Amino acid sequence: MIKSTDLDPDFKYEISKEPGGENIKKCFNCTGCTVGCPVTEIDKSYNPRMILRKAILGMRKEVLSDESLWLCASCYICYERCPQDVKITEVIGAIRAIAQREAKAGKIKLDNPKPLFDHLFIDSVRKNGKWYEAGVSGTFMLRTKGIGGAIGYAPMGFELWKKGKLNILPHTIKGKDELKRICKEVEK
Amino acid sequence: MKLAYYPGCTLHGTAREYDASTKAVCKAAGIELTEIDDWNCCGALEAIFDKELSMGLSARNNFKAQKTGLDLVVPCSICSHNLSRADKAMKTDSAFRAKIEKALGEKYTGVKIKHLLDVVVNDLGTEALATKFKKSLNGIKAVPYYGCLLIRPSEVCKFDNPENPTSLDNIIKATGAECLPFTQKTKCCGGNLLMSKQDYAFILTKKLFDEAKAAGANCIVVACPMCHMLLDGQQGMIEKAHNTVIDMPVLYFTQLIGLAMGLGEKELELDKNMVSTSKLIASIGKEKPPEKKAEAKIATAVEAEAAQ
Repeated sequence: MIKSTDLDPDFKYEISKEPGGENIKKCFNCTGCTVGCPVTEIDKSYNPRMILRKAILGMRKEVLSDESLWLCASCYICYERCPQDVKITEVIGAIRAIAQREAKAGKIKLDNPKPLFDHLFIDSVRKNGKWYEAGVSGTFMLRTKGIGGAIGYAPMGFELWKKGKLNILPHTIKGKDELKRICKEVEK
Repeated sequence: MKLAYYPGCTLHGTAREYDASTKAVCKAAGIELTEIDDWNCCGALEAIFDKELSMGLSARNNFKAQKTGLDLVVPCSICSHNLSRADKAMKTDSAFRAKIEKALGEKYTGVKIKHLLDVVVNDLGTEALATKFKKSLNGIKAVPYYGCLLIRPSEVCKFDNPENPTSLDNIIKATGAECLPFTQKTKCCGGNLLMSKQDYAFILTKKLFDEAKAAGANCIVVACPMCHMLLDGQQGMIEKAHNTVIDMPVLYFTQLIGLAMGLGEKELELDKNMVSTSKLIASIGKEKPPEKKAEAKIATAVEAEAAQ
């Protein structure tokens, strides 16, 4: 049973202040997002309507530590069909941002490897200006699956390399300073 | 037609055949592409946890494109989505615009961003395109796969119907290949879950193959390097995970157009696709053009019913 005293009525406002989360309060829980969701189709435990409902009710900790938060494939079907223009894909992104901050502060634990991949990816873009596929994928495999897991992907990597599709070294851009200034401005 | 060109990271890596076939087809169709100077990664879908960072990364590319004075064409659905979204935000969100203009020390006037498929179907037009065709691709039975960001959200990609798009269908038909009905045309391939939840990504992609096979297809046509990575690049892994044989070539729409234009297989880099395309290419012209057999049969059945 959930006690109303455990709820955080400000959670919806916290989400709406996050870029992408602005429209969460418009949701009237029609379930349109969930009936069309390709992930829900294969795993009923992923239920975007329920995530939104819980968030609006203020079930902060439950929403932030819910593993299913990381199952959205960003396919934008719900975003397209939502009659209230909640922009669900981006609301999920906003909730993920809060969850990552909470995890960084040691308040919750995140088990899903998605945020690790996202950060390795974006860090490589920050550093080089371009996505360093071989480096990011390799590091991610090592950190999530260990040496054995990473070696399991070696044959595929080799096939890609043989076809000239995998760059061993990162590509870089000249305007790294411009990128740095952009990051500094938007991350204030 | 002159356009600025943003290839995006994958077209210089895993999707090199998309880059090669785009350049070859545009050249043959009279579209002059100028790659924008020193472009950077758009952040793909990996910056979803920070919307402003995602749009900021893309905005720098729009500034670069602005300098060319040309419209910008983007072959990747994810890049095209991100750059368009950033352009929209630069025009409507003054606080965001101020941050980016401050960081780059320049004013933003805006740039028209278009997906390559939009340019081919709407600016060039399928009829004008067909005048460049040298052979009919009958024998190819294709299903068009649009995936997600090519057509959604419609507030940034406005060129086709988000629920029932037809651009790829029309291109397939124009080449003389058979375009089969495909109920999964706008479903998700699970690309964004490939690294973090591979089993789900594979289930989602496997569903596309099952439906394509049920429709009688011998190839899938795509317009996104991420879709291609799942359908073509990961096909072997999916076969292994699901203990099955799929053997379904997946062509970029530019490769299909190039074949109809009579361009060389090397030029279109058809040997770079992970699933062999040679059997498919050998099937071209080996079959009589479809004589609308199915439709004729239905018509006869309807007439017979009416007569009763």
